[in-house]
Amino acid sequence: MTTKLRMSTIAAAIGLSLLSTATFAQSYPTKPVKLVLPYSPGGVVDFIGRTLAQHVGDALGQPVVAENRPGAGGIVGTDVVARAQPDGYTLLLMDPAIVINPTLQESVPYDLFKQLDTVSVVSSSPLVLVVSPGLNVKTFAEFVAYGKANPGKLNFASAGIGTTPHLAGELYKQSTGIVATHVPYKGIGASYTDMMSNKVQFAFSSIAGALPFTGDNRVIALATTGETRNDVYADKPTVAESGIKGFSVDLWLAVFAPVGLPADVKTKLNAAIKTALEKPELKAAFAKVGASPRGTTPDVGAAFVKADFEKWKKVIVEGKIKPTN
Amino acid sequence: MDFLTNLATGFSVALTVTNLLYCFAGVLLGTLVGVLPGIGPVTTVAMLLPFSFTLPPESALIMLAGIYYGAQYGGSTTAILVNIPGEASSVVTTIDGHKMALAGRAGPALGIAALGSFFAGCVATVLVVVAAPPLASIALSFGPAEYFSLMVCGLVAAIVLARGSVIKALGMVVLGLMFGLVGSDINSGIRRFTFGFRGLADGIEFVALSMAIYGLADIALNLGKKEENAEVHSKIGRVWPTLADIKYCIPSILRGTTLGSILGVLPGGGALLAAFAAYTLEKKVAKKPRRFGHGDIRGVAAPESANNAGAQTSFIPMLTLGIPSNPTMAMMIGAMMIHGISPGPRVMTERPGLFWGVIVSMWLGNLMLVILNLPLVGMWVKLLRMPYRLLYPSIVVFCCIGTYTVNSNLFDVYVMAFFAVFGYVCVKLDCEPAPLILGFVLGPMMEENLRRSLLISRGDAMVFVQEPISLFFLIVAAGLLLIVALPTIRKTREEAMQE
Repeated sequence: MTTKLRMSTIAAAIGLSLLSTATFAQSYPTKPVKLVLPYSPGGVVDFIGRTLAQHVGDALGQPVVAENRPGAGGIVGTDVVARAQPDGYTLLLMDPAIVINPTLQESVPYDLFKQLDTVSVVSSSPLVLVVSPGLNVKTFAEFVAYGKANPGKLNFASAGIGTTPHLAGELYKQSTGIVATHVPYKGIGASYTDMMSNKVQFAFSSIAGALPFTGDNRVIALATTGETRNDVYADKPTVAESGIKGFSVDLWLAVFAPVGLPADVKTKLNAAIKTALEKPELKAAFAKVGASPRGTTPDVGAAFVKADFEKWKKVIVEGKIKPTN
Repeated sequence: MDFLTNLATGFSVALTVTNLLYCFAGVLLGTLVGVLPGIGPVTTVAMLLPFSFTLPPESALIMLAGIYYGAQYGGSTTAILVNIPGEASSVVTTIDGHKMALAGRAGPALGIAALGSFFAGCVATVLVVVAAPPLASIALSFGPAEYFSLMVCGLVAAIVLARGSVIKALGMVVLGLMFGLVGSDINSGIRRFTFGFRGLADGIEFVALSMAIYGLADIALNLGKKEENAEVHSKIGRVWPTLADIKYCIPSILRGTTLGSILGVLPGGGALLAAFAAYTLEKKVAKKPRRFGHGDIRGVAAPESANNAGAQTSFIPMLTLGIPSNPTMAMMIGAMMIHGISPGPRVMTERPGLFWGVIVSMWLGNLMLVILNLPLVGMWVKLLRMPYRLLYPSIVVFCCIGTYTVNSNLFDVYVMAFFAVFGYVCVKLDCEPAPLILGFVLGPMMEENLRRSLLISRGDAMVFVQEPISLFFLIVAAGLLLIVALPTIRKTREEAMQE
């Protein structure tokens, strides 16, 4: 009798738990969602990630918790999400390093296209071409002319091997034929004093990094790298409109999830991100670091990521950029 | 006037409620760890590093600085009352301070230590304010070549001024440099010496290394010693020294402050060296020197002024040049770097609020310490009775939590465990870990700047001697090397270190 009773209790318990799993997917999210940020606190990704987490959380009705998992240029955090359960409770916010690393590095632990799925692109931000005041150039055209007249004399700073500022410089070299030496720094901010004293001559910098120095012309901003002009540097042309057709570098950020996300969860997440990106407070916060909100459907986002992967793969292969001694 | 605008900038940062609170927390915690033997400011700063990352950089540095000079105050309390130096820099204070306590004059000893420290702290703070701007004016001329030579100079000085054997110090610096090489190389992107561990891709975590060596290894060492249940003289009496006492001490305080201020600036110097030197000087120049060692109040006043002055001025090379003169400063540099601030002369021009805020906070902190400590002596005495079986396990736990939270990575905790054993072995072999930490911090920056200079000069190594500032530092480094090599000077050095 007691055994029977116990059996039925267990059966009831199993039934209940089955029931709750069934309703689980419908009522996603039922618990806080984790958004992994693969960089240290304090940078642009951290700032955008925390702002986004707050507003997506409001839209979902469950808190979204931003968690820094820095290491190995974003590879550690990316790998954590690639191995996570595809239940919509572990997400990743990542920049172009996610598409650059697989080509650049000898090996990465994750397969970008087999293990990760784009939920939505969330922001877009051009780089800004800044030059040393010691060069005495005022326009983009003058800068190109200077580079052609002085082959091999120019140095360009970057935030490290394979970072977007480095590859943007390589793309510039490849599209103009200008010869320049790459000088990597630990972050683009560290390069500015050397740029002011003309030890390095130019850099494709993040807008957030350049703003404190371009305001009083300690370094000169010449052009931005987006397809259209940027609000922060509205008086500066784009590189493309200044004569290098098709030159476009975007320091985008996108939300990824492990492959195999249930379709309804993916739709719900995409909609929540879209709602969040339309909030004026979020727009104002993004503008502080020179980023503009940009929502996409998962399909458009995936195609965009794939296109960026191909673009940088070409630049890396053509420029023979590999970590070497 | 620049001087006043700078101070105004400093006050506007340091006087915010938040920063005052962090300053207070820093000096309070500093006094606490200063009082407790077996746990020092380096351990504490190491333990608080991960927490400081969550603060704005100004508050973080203000708090960490407070711990360092606060500990100098606290250390003397233990030295006088228990005859155990709470801090290494209070070793000499025990000689006369404890004798005074035995003679029933513990109060005046504590009082003069606090007053001397306060005076020295004020003078040294003014010194930092005066000395900093000339150094800042050359900030823009500091390119990669200048940085490289400056760091060579700093490392050489670390070897010359280290305690004990030169060979061992050199070995530890080189070992530190090599540990610094682990991880992704910034110039090539190659991962070096990671042995396939992804956790080493960004190098050995500084927090893990410093907590291991100054937290865990230190505890292991202290456990090896017999726990001395020394008698605590809790009868303190009148804290304020008499007017005669003060008059008697003024020359000693002045000498101690001057000597401490100078020695604090030197790499490898800081509070410890300053206190020893001040006591020796005092014995040589003071009238009636025979009373030293038998409870002479000047034997408390001079070293206590000196160690506080030294603690304060050791911020000069750290803040202005980015060169740490001792392990605590190395950790402050670590804290700055994790906040994305590259240490060096540029800090002053690019982050004036941070720079002047920290300096002004030191003066405020000194004021707080005097007000805080004289009435609270009784409480610190009670703390001395806290058993180590409670204290040590909590430190171990905090070290593990602290290291884990930096990157949320368990691997760093294993790294810490490894270096705890390593650090213990080193100290047992009489190898000072300080040069290792300096090498570890400076090495990667040195390599980065060396290769950057050569990239920019297109491989021409002459760039290091063609730039005047760079040449100057290389000559100083060569001079320092020569000094250790000369037999007579080496002999005196060894004698001086033994004293």
